[in-house]
Amino acid sequence: MDPDLERALRGLEEAAEFARTYRFEMTEDYLELVARVEALPRNQAGADKSGRWLGSRHYWDSIERGRFIDSKP
Amino acid sequence: MTHPLAPVGSALAARAVRYVLIGVSGANLYGPGGQAVFTTDDFDLFLPADADNLVNAWAACEEAGLDLWLGDEPLDRPRDRWLADRIVPQRALTRGTGPDGLQVDLTLVMKGFEFETVWPERRAFLVEGVEIPTARLLYIVMSKQAAGRLKDQLFLTTHKDALEQLLKPPK
Repeated sequence: MDPDLERALRGLEEAAEFARTYRFEMTEDYLELVARVEALPRNQAGADKSGRWLGSRHYWDSIERGRFIDSKP
Repeated sequence: MTHPLAPVGSALAARAVRYVLIGVSGANLYGPGGQAVFTTDDFDLFLPADADNLVNAWAACEEAGLDLWLGDEPLDRPRDRWLADRIVPQRALTRGTGPDGLQVDLTLVMKGFEFETVWPERRAFLVEGVEIPTARLLYIVMSKQAAGRLKDQLFLTTHKDALEQLLKPPK
């Protein structure tokens, strides 16, 4: 088997194993972060969030503009 | 309007529909304007188990140009109180789809929360001048933890990093 393919398949297996066993733990630290973000002035009622969609769209546009680069010499 | 949620939000407001934006798209609104935190084309709108409110939500979505679905099938017509009375007890999700992959889910379920708990503490953010009632970020992340799906756990893990970035002072 091609070594690159073998390495890729091994990586996928490891990722699948991680996904099966991973458990996220909610911590006080996390909840404190959430509270601080909620309390930011820009996150109070009436805040203008019109720019949010542009970020997502630009992300997908950047992927569509992407091109494959062969890393092999 | 360039934000796809704005026309829907405007139509929902015109019909006084009660809903809050939840899920990843709701969490995204807590980030700074113009920067994506997490990419998603889906908008999850949490509605109370109220048939009249659901009928108005359907009508608003249609006015905003969305096609309505129940599972893999177009939502039956007439989209009236009789139909809503059969959907609400099952807490079934109806979905609106629009141009450019827009997907608006009208859900009657937010894992771990009742609507009347979330509604009074909503944040009314503005998107292109339209008020978008959004659930508290705390409730969004707690609901994701309660749901416990792998995608929710991965979201929560990466979201924590994103929150830390949001709180860093600008350079």
